[in-house]
Amino acid sequence: MKKPLRIVTANKLALTNLATAFALLLVGGFFGLLQGLNRAGVLTIVGGMNYYEMLSLHGVLLILAFTTLFMNGYLWSAVDYVLGGLTKGIKTLGWAAYAIFMVGAILVAIMIIAGEATVLYTFYAPMAANPWFYIGLVFVVLNIWMSGIGVFISAFRWKKQNKGKHLPLFAFFAVGVYVLITFGTAFVAAEVFYIIPWTLGWIDTINVLLTRTLFWAFGHTLVNVWYLVAVSAWYLVVPKVIGGKLFSDSLARAVVILIVVLNVPGGFHHQIVDPGFTEGLKFMHLFMSLAIAVPSLLTAFALFATLERTGRRRGGKGLLGWFWKLPWHDVRFLTIMLAMISFIFGGAGGIAQTNNQLNQVVHNTLWVVGHFHVTVGVAVVLTFFGLVYWLIPHLSGRVLTKKIHNLGIWQTMIWTVGMLFMTLSMSYVGLLGSPRRTEYTTYGGSATALEWDPYLIFVGAGGTLLFAGVVIIVYIVFHLMFLAPKGYTEFMMVEEQEEDAHKTPKWTENWGLWVIVAILIISMGYVVPLVDLIGNAPPGSPPIRTF
Amino acid sequence: MKQFWYGLALLLFLALPPVRDLLESVMAFHMHMQMLLLFVSGLLMEPFFQKHFGGVFDKYNKTGLPGVVLFLVILLYWMLPRTMDEALEIWFVELWKFVSLPFLAGVPLRDSWKKMSQTFEIVVFMILMVIFSVMTYLYIFSESTLCNNYLMIDQQTVGWGFAFFVLCIVMYILLVLFTDQSQYFGDDSEA
Ligand code: HEM
Ligand SMILES: [Cu+2]
Repeated sequence: MKKPLRIVTANKLALTNLATAFALLLVGGFFGLLQGLNRAGVLTIVGGMNYYEMLSLHGVLLILAFTTLFMNGYLWSAVDYVLGGLTKGIKTLGWAAYAIFMVGAILVAIMIIAGEATVLYTFYAPMAANPWFYIGLVFVVLNIWMSGIGVFISAFRWKKQNKGKHLPLFAFFAVGVYVLITFGTAFVAAEVFYIIPWTLGWIDTINVLLTRTLFWAFGHTLVNVWYLVAVSAWYLVVPKVIGGKLFSDSLARAVVILIVVLNVPGGFHHQIVDPGFTEGLKFMHLFMSLAIAVPSLLTAFALFATLERTGRRRGGKGLLGWFWKLPWHDVRFLTIMLAMISFIFGGAGGIAQTNNQLNQVVHNTLWVVGHFHVTVGVAVVLTFFGLVYWLIPHLSGRVLTKKIHNLGIWQTMIWTVGMLFMTLSMSYVGLLGSPRRTEYTTYGGSATALEWDPYLIFVGAGGTLLFAGVVIIVYIVFHLMFLAPKGYTEFMMVEEQEEDAHKTPKWTENWGLWVIVAILIISMGYVVPLVDLIGNAPPGSPPIRTF
Repeated sequence: MKQFWYGLALLLFLALPPVRDLLESVMAFHMHMQMLLLFVSGLLMEPFFQKHFGGVFDKYNKTGLPGVVLFLVILLYWMLPRTMDEALEIWFVELWKFVSLPFLAGVPLRDSWKKMSQTFEIVVFMILMVIFSVMTYLYIFSESTLCNNYLMIDQQTVGWGFAFFVLCIVMYILLVLFTDQSQYFGDDSEA
């Protein structure tokens, strides 16, 4: 008898999340294109939505909505697959979470399109949007918590039924991801519940610096959650695609724990130029910020080891011969490999800009926009794209055709070249002083501003390529969901680790302890600034509408 | 033995003048970071003393209880606001801080820990919880500055820091009481 094929049981739920994610990518990417063309000076935006409304929507749709839905679709599939199915109750919870997300997202989007919430995705006080905007955000947060609860319960049940066994690594990643994002969203929930009464007029003024601090405890954690989601694929999917083995199960688990435990206080590095914090405090936080580089460096080490060993097994000779033996023509590898390479540069830029003096040079310039389009737009998003080619056919019961595979290679090249144009020019023109979050202007023909123009052209050119990339990937997703020939596609996940790897210690499973340690470290980072901000609070600001 | 060198390096690092200046400039860093790390450096250095002066521990710390008492005395001593002031102003009190926390709190506690039953460990955590709760109350609600060298707001910050310590200790006690921690010992090779 043939063994029944293992599949993700909650495939409809996952597909719905993924389909919505890519639909939102299309919309968000379209606004990105308009912004890029505007910055290049070739498109003046008149009528309809203004530049800042678009930018608000671009930020919210891409860094919040697309990523959240992709995470839910991908990690729920993984948890479902490795734990041998989700219960009916959990699936219902997943659908409820999706519905709540849609309610929130629609509220937020309507408010932005209606011009009631032109506050950008950071919604810094004292700019005040329509209260419905914030209420919409609460719904989005609820989605995240519900999705987290679904994963926690499933993992807990599995542990009960499989006493003494390790939670499968993919589920371990998922638990880590949702624990971390729960910490992060706790801060933004606190912020939003502070802002809502203020926009409703129940309280007169708001402590601006407090809201910014709460925001970045969240915002920073959020992007690192996206990074951790991508890392899960780097550890588990890449070795499978290239026919290698997991470098070390215990190392991967240690990396997850470190990222979860150390991450949140790093948020302070977004406030290096905020007034009202002492230099000593900012200096202490430099360490917290740099600490996050440690798990990333461990990851880099483990991944290069996997790549090298596999390349050598495939017959690579000499110092670098293994490099060319890797399956570059396989889109599932090419995408993620380029993503990982981009993270070397993105990570290095991040380490640079977390230093006080360097931060003052680049803060609020296009450099920063260049930085996060490399880290999120390539390292994370290209990894997500790379998963599409097998995850979606697995879920939809179809197979990837040669044609679509080749189209995927093109998509990857277009995306990479587009991002190279856009991020390199953004980074450079940022160093020349061109500000972020600013509609095209020459400042009345000022010589300095005119100097930026040649570079800004490339922002527009890169943006155009990128939008083409968005259209192609959305078509690919659509094809793999509805048009591709029926068949079985394997769920790509490495099952074996290298023989010489350590046996995984059991303490890694102690999530109760990791949560306590994380709370301890978060309080080390935030008690000092928060007590000061609240204890020495200035009179505060009334709501201000700049739009 | 590797641990010993890490502990020693940590101790020396903390003793560097700029590091001392920075950590002592903010009350919360002084109490919750510098002192805590000094204690941790002692924990790390314990194997060295175990190896070379094992006899002393066997003789005087047979049950583990004396070590815990010594740890608590040193801890309580450094909880007195006055001692912090003196550490900032009198050089030999500062030196005493760098000696007492690692060698008279960290080292004996680690030796005792191995000899104690789990019940007793929880009792020690409960004692810490009580001490820190008192500190929380005192530092947050005191009407005047308790330490001449720091401001009211610094003091309240330390109070809130203690509050979080208490929270974490409570959660830890609950974790140990209500989950089977032994499932987290060892690795797969035994399974
Ligand atoms: C079609 C591809 C894309 C293009 C052409 C594009 C273009 C742009 C441009 C020109 C800006 C900056 C405008 C300014 O500061 O004045 C921007 C901002 C931003 N982009 Fe993109 N982008 C694209 C894809 C993405 C993706 C995939 C993500 C994340 C997943 C993303 C996240 C963001 C965020 C968070 C901002 C900052 C918004 C703000 O400052 O409030 N973008 N994008
Ligand atoms: Cu950050």
